[in-house]
Amino acid sequence: MVFIIKMLNSIRSGMNQVFKRRMTFRYPDQRLFIEGDGYKYDPKAGIGINGYRGRHILYLEKCTGCSLCVMMCQGISQAIEMKNVPNKQIPVNKKSIFPQIDYSKCVYCGFCVDACPFEALFETNEYEIVSYDRESLLFTPEQLAIPPKKRPEPTVNLKYGDSDVYHG
Amino acid sequence: MSKIQTFSSFVKRLIIVIIGLLITLTLLFSLLAYFVPSVKELQNILLSSIGNPSLMLNYLDQKGFGLNSLFFKVAVFPGFTWAALIAAEIIWFERKFLAKMQMRVGPLYAGKIAGLLQPIADVVKLVFKEIITPSSSDKWFFLSIPIIITSIAAALLAVLPVSEGWIIMRSDVSVLIIFAIVGFVPIAVLLGGWASNSKYPFIGALRGLHQMIAFEIPMLISTLGVVLVTGTLDLVNIVYTQSNVWFILLMPIGAFVFFSCMIIELERIPFDLPEAESEIASGYLTEYTSMAFGNIQLAIYIRFYAMAGIFTTMFLGGWYGPQILPNGFEIANQVIWFTIKTLLVMILAIVLRGVNPRVRIDLLLRMGWSSLLILSFANLFLVILILQTELIQMVGV
Amino acid sequence: MSKLSLSVGPQHPGSGHMRIILTLSGDYIIEAIPDPGYVHRGEEKLAEYRTYIQNIPHLERPVLLDATGAIFPYILAVEDLMNIIVPERAQFIRVIMAELNRIISHLYYMAIYGIFMGHSTMFMWPVGDREVFIDLANNIAGQRVSYAFLVPGGVRNDMPEIVKERAEKACNYFEKHLIEYERIFMNNPLFEKRTKGVGILSKQDAIRLGVVGPTLRASGVKSDVRKDDTYSVYDQLDFEIPVSNACDSWSRAWIHMEEMRQSMSIIRQCLKRIPAGPVKLNLKQIKVPPGESFSRVEAARGTLSYYLISDGGKVPYRVRIMTPSFRNLITIPNIMKGVMLADMPPTYWGIDYWPVEADR
Repeated sequence: MVFIIKMLNSIRSGMNQVFKRRMTFRYPDQRLFIEGDGYKYDPKAGIGINGYRGRHILYLEKCTGCSLCVMMCQGISQAIEMKNVPNKQIPVNKKSIFPQIDYSKCVYCGFCVDACPFEALFETNEYEIVSYDRESLLFTPEQLAIPPKKRPEPTVNLKYGDSDVYHG
Repeated sequence: MSKIQTFSSFVKRLIIVIIGLLITLTLLFSLLAYFVPSVKELQNILLSSIGNPSLMLNYLDQKGFGLNSLFFKVAVFPGFTWAALIAAEIIWFERKFLAKMQMRVGPLYAGKIAGLLQPIADVVKLVFKEIITPSSSDKWFFLSIPIIITSIAAALLAVLPVSEGWIIMRSDVSVLIIFAIVGFVPIAVLLGGWASNSKYPFIGALRGLHQMIAFEIPMLISTLGVVLVTGTLDLVNIVYTQSNVWFILLMPIGAFVFFSCMIIELERIPFDLPEAESEIASGYLTEYTSMAFGNIQLAIYIRFYAMAGIFTTMFLGGWYGPQILPNGFEIANQVIWFTIKTLLVMILAIVLRGVNPRVRIDLLLRMGWSSLLILSFANLFLVILILQTELIQMVGV
Repeated sequence: MSKLSLSVGPQHPGSGHMRIILTLSGDYIIEAIPDPGYVHRGEEKLAEYRTYIQNIPHLERPVLLDATGAIFPYILAVEDLMNIIVPERAQFIRVIMAELNRIISHLYYMAIYGIFMGHSTMFMWPVGDREVFIDLANNIAGQRVSYAFLVPGGVRNDMPEIVKERAEKACNYFEKHLIEYERIFMNNPLFEKRTKGVGILSKQDAIRLGVVGPTLRASGVKSDVRKDDTYSVYDQLDFEIPVSNACDSWSRAWIHMEEMRQSMSIIRQCLKRIPAGPVKLNLKQIKVPPGESFSRVEAARGTLSYYLISDGGKVPYRVRIMTPSFRNLITIPNIMKGVMLADMPPTYWGIDYWPVEADR
């Protein structure tokens, strides 16, 4: 008898869930909305600014080629290396070297952003980095300087109903 | 390569091929000669039925394919096509309903509305795959098992009374036929595991055998309660007896035992030990690929529908229900009520699938040989008590 | 009955990244010998070649489901050597992240328990609810699973304002859903029949073998590092420790569920009490003076402790990690006696054994 009561309770819980909203969102038709603008770092105050850690963005006019980001990543995943870009002449960057990032190795920890004292390397919201072969995951400094495209609409966000949670 | 080594083996294969060809061609031509009319006759009928469609129906009746013929009953309406359609829709419904219970969306993209064509997409995919037979198995035996299993499942459909006139075969001993067919299923499962000639399918088949044999007895004894009240073994008479009150109200314990045994015999979750446990290979289904696998899945769902239909006939009042269609359509009304009740039974089995984990083999066998057996005997004694004290007359059975 | 020796090896869906060698008599297990070491990577030696900051993403990887719990004792050990005091707001944010990680790890535990039992709903519900908490952690730390959020001196960035109301709504939703969990998973009669009385570890055995975490609390010993040896701001918070006297698999699963409730209450209290202020000390460089330090923390699976020796250089001299799965490894030969073969995966998962953190 206790068996049947407990089984009926289980069935009641299961049937309650049938009438609530689903949690899945339909990926290529709907995209996830991420708040904010990406992770940044303020070197004077020594503290980071809240944001999602996705693909990096490089401000070429501020980068002096000091290689501190490379030194930071040496112990983590060796994803950054300096590359000589001869046709970019910037007054602060005498040797004309800029970082290139290999996204097949990067773990998106953000310590390279923390290491940069000139606010030249930040991270953005973009997380969809795909390619057909490994070589095109190596982003050159010019590729890193392009700001990411805006995420196509419609975007959904996790919303809380009264007793269910859904993407809407 | 190495099979044709001697001249005698070559001659043997040649004779087999020639005899096979002769038999096939004879059968084919005789069928064609009986069924296909000559071209002139076909032209006449098509032209004349444009103005007068009943001529076409008469013609079909005359040829033996009409609406009341055996061919129609077996192939279309309560027979194979109807059952296959319901099986396909139950597969879709099960996946959608389980997904809703699990906070997710089920099949979505096949078919414009909510993935309705997903089972058909699966069948088409399976047709295009390759049938692989293990090299150490007995090839023809291995490939004939899906056909045997499908035939057994389809044979159960023959005694199901969908409405008053629509039953493929009405006989005096329908209940015995059902139990004979249900008793043959474990043998087919064992043959499937044996023919694969591999360790895990064999273990799965043995577990299936233990499970199915253990639960035929409570099923039989709970059916005995129904038979005692009605006094006949004929399924149509059992439905006639329930015209005033359904048997589930008279013998609820018997209905519970029969329902549990039904789920266990069908090897549905939570009792799918032969299929999904067995060292996490697929049990006796492991070595079947492509359309052989598709056939076995179809057989499993047709058997599900047939057993749910039998439960409806014996305990839920068969085809009786209030008249919701206008007054000329009694038979359609009966068909609709039968289908609704069968679908409700199947939905209950699907809900139980979503809510329970799998049981262990020793818990299952202990439950079968002790609890369910005692419950079914208790049900039998209660029924005898009700009959003796003539309470039956009060409910108008 | 003759004895059969079976190797439930690394390529088996019921075993994880390790091997268990079983001796069976019929269907009952007589002896079970674990064979770990398939995922050994040499984390402790590799940590000697990385600076103190570069070690942070490296050392949180073995225990990836509970990333904050893995890196918390390392940060406490380094701060102990450097002798710095972390601001209050940073400590509250650390506790919020630690408790969120505890909920995330326990939900993963319930999901895999469901797979081993053959219950697909018990896999889908926890994984779906885990998304809620991963989203909260995303809003605070910037990543979903591997945060690298704690640094010596505080945390890397401040918590945004939107987290307070989202966390409140998430905790409300999840508390209602936990009631349904109890009805459909814990009190399900078939689940109880399969797990009650299986895998018994008595109280004397638990104390003698040195077991930690929820496994210890399921055997009747009330012991938790957050109360016994308190660190960070746990002494200002008010919570209970669930203990159970039935030492079987069911009570281990039940304790994981009760701990999730306590974690949500801790998160609510932290969000009310959190003061304003800085979240990180502005250190010019991480200079660790020579010395040794030991620290331990209650991670999701049990007690995680670090022993750090520094000789004043840029890299640590020796990092010794003691993970809870390694301490609990000794229970596998002891609880498997008399268990049937079909119950072996749920019993081994019930002690929350994660091979990657045991092997490091």
